[in-house]
Amino acid sequence: MMLTACDHIAEDERLIYEAMITDMSPDNGQEEDEAEVTKRVVLLEDFTGQNCTNCPKATEIIEQLQEACGDVLVAVSLHGGPLSFAGSARAVGLKTATADEYYNYWHFEYQPIGLVNRHGAVDYQMWATAVKEELTKPTPLRLEGSAVLADNVITIQMNATGIKGNTTGKLQVWLLEDGIKAVQRMPEGPANQEYIHNHVFRTAVNGTWGEDFSISEGETKQQTMTQAFDTRWNSNKLSIVAFVYNDSGVQQVAKFEVKV
Amino acid sequence: MTKRTLLYLIVCVCFLPGMAWERKGVTFSGSIQSDMLVPFRDNGTGAEKTGNFLTNTYADLLMQSQYINAGARLEFLEYPLPGFEKDFKGWGVPHFWMNGRVGKVELTAGTFYEQFGSGFILRTYEERSLGIDNSLLGARVVVKPFKGITIKALSGVQRRYWEWNESLISGADAEIGLGEYIPSFQKSGTNITLGGSWVNKYEWSEEKIYISPLYRLRIPKFVNAWDARINFSHGPWNVLGEYAQKSDDPSLANQYIYKKGSAVMLTGSYSGKSLSVLLQAKRSENMSFKSTNEVSKAIGISSSINHLPAFTQDQTYALAALYPYATQLADGEWAYQAEVGYNFKRKTWLGGRYGMNLKANLSYVRAIDRQFYDGNDLVQKTNGYTSKFFKWGDQTYYRSIDATLTRKFSKAFKLSLMYVNQRYNQLAVEGHGGMVHSNIFIADGKCQFSPKVTLRCELQYLTTKQDQGDWAYGLLELSLAPHWMVTVSDMWNCGETKLHYYQGLVTYNIRQHRIQAGYGRTRAGYNCSGGVCRYVPASTGFTISYNYSF
Repeated sequence: MMLTACDHIAEDERLIYEAMITDMSPDNGQEEDEAEVTKRVVLLEDFTGQNCTNCPKATEIIEQLQEACGDVLVAVSLHGGPLSFAGSARAVGLKTATADEYYNYWHFEYQPIGLVNRHGAVDYQMWATAVKEELTKPTPLRLEGSAVLADNVITIQMNATGIKGNTTGKLQVWLLEDGIKAVQRMPEGPANQEYIHNHVFRTAVNGTWGEDFSISEGETKQQTMTQAFDTRWNSNKLSIVAFVYNDSGVQQVAKFEVKV
Repeated sequence: MTKRTLLYLIVCVCFLPGMAWERKGVTFSGSIQSDMLVPFRDNGTGAEKTGNFLTNTYADLLMQSQYINAGARLEFLEYPLPGFEKDFKGWGVPHFWMNGRVGKVELTAGTFYEQFGSGFILRTYEERSLGIDNSLLGARVVVKPFKGITIKALSGVQRRYWEWNESLISGADAEIGLGEYIPSFQKSGTNITLGGSWVNKYEWSEEKIYISPLYRLRIPKFVNAWDARINFSHGPWNVLGEYAQKSDDPSLANQYIYKKGSAVMLTGSYSGKSLSVLLQAKRSENMSFKSTNEVSKAIGISSSINHLPAFTQDQTYALAALYPYATQLADGEWAYQAEVGYNFKRKTWLGGRYGMNLKANLSYVRAIDRQFYDGNDLVQKTNGYTSKFFKWGDQTYYRSIDATLTRKFSKAFKLSLMYVNQRYNQLAVEGHGGMVHSNIFIADGKCQFSPKVTLRCELQYLTTKQDQGDWAYGLLELSLAPHWMVTVSDMWNCGETKLHYYQGLVTYNIRQHRIQAGYGRTRAGYNCSGGVCRYVPASTGFTISYNYSF
């Protein structure tokens, strides 16, 4: 009797409200721990493709998440894998060899799929769950930066501050572009020739897997790097994503616009 | 199971063949199956060198006696063949059972396979080529209290590769054959079998599922499914009707909707001396039923509690099987199949001196009608869609019309000719591409030169304007009875890629041993069985296959 009684959940009981971001600041007057206060920014790597019919659904999830999370979520669309499109004489393709290499490295088996702070493959229907979990974790460092485009060169200035323990890993810097109009297969109906692709991965500024990075608690580091501007990019829609990762996943992320 | 026990079992498996004994009513039997690959990187096909030596090896051991049977299987999949999930890798003895019979009661403890009815709500089975073994670990009791009545009850946790999913699967099934109780049925060779089943899943692990950034779902802890069926048989006639329903089961497969699943099937067949006819229709909707809601485990073909039979031909010829259909468990489908076979008698005008067989099959699978709610109300979204029972959806998933003519022209020569016209919705099945229309022509000739020497030749051609274009295939198989067989084949994409997938194999049989060695390329594609498919990447290399039974 009990087995059959519990299999139905009434419509008004299906949803449980849980805010995406909970206020983590102490309210008892105690001094705040900087590691507790520094926001953990979450990196969502969306492995997508213009031939992937379900990928627009994943993009919708990203939009919802960005609306709920604000700047503590950084999403990157990596066009790689079997459903990505390299382009043709008539159509713009967003596939890159680097994104393809990432796709193969992670041994994904279908698309859309993603990584949330690099803890393994996460189906797009589970991104909200994974992002929520990552947001609750503290971060060991603060990461900031700025970027300027001048004379066809993008100059990127990175600032990192260690706030808890010692962190070693890799610093990875990527260039993204928003607002690209290019064809996209849709879940239903014909392909959309006017589809707007956002946060599209364009290139890895400091190599496919980044460069060695380490920082101690209290230490501050600055680093400058450059990236040649490709005239196929829209200079007004570029941004930089920088993150530090190691075997324990992504430790911190920063995103900032490329100023012209 | 401890390593010591494991080693003991391995020793048993290795040495019992030599003993092959049956003593005091106790019989030991078993088998070994080992498929090995030494892979190479192949820039032509994109095949990767995924290791130095890969093997899927299984060793089964079975003990039988008057009252008690027991069995175990050693699986060595530490370096698995290409195309299996990461979790497939490992080794151990995941299958072990003991079975006792006392009077009308049979009790099994350990791991076991079971199917209720057609498998709509429960089917656990092993299919090595697909890496499927969804056995249950627990207990099962089968009681046959009276003639024609069988009652089963079971409970257990389901195997997923090298672990057991965190849910309890319980169920019961009862079948009664009325023919045993109605004398007039017995006189006329008529039987009616009534059956009913129930399956319950209780999942104690809880995955937090967010339907939006602000709301997560309350997932039912229990999912119930039931099945009712009636089978009527009279002489060469047989009719089976079956209906199954499943309670709300929001899952990754159905995109977390709270909606009942259902499946209904009607099958009729006639099997006469010369003529056989099969007619089938099935409608299924939202019937994906898995033993875990944990997303990383629910993806793919593992953890399925049930199985819906495919109403399409399981093609055996290489090009006819190039675009195989996978049953759409979650989305649902209307599926129809009609098959007619006719044996033309020997020494007739059409049958010729040795007779002739004609077989034709029509399979058609179509989407069901689904009207999704397209507003923004989250609760409404969890209802999923509405569907009119008899209305078709917009998409055709699969259609196949084929005809096979087999005729023996002389004592030494036999020829089969086959034509297949196929429409395959690659987007629905594989998630990319569009509708692939193809025509396939196959000729299979077998010539027996002497009682010991037989040559078989296959020529196949597939023509299509979609996907990778046309394909051609040729095979020569020389059998030198009783020990040797040599096979060479080539599958050539003469459309887009111009790639050759060649293969050479030598097979040697001696007593209960069969060993096959070869070299060749295998194309990337879907490997299917009974409507369940697995994507297998391209591979190139030396292959060895060893089979032994005792």
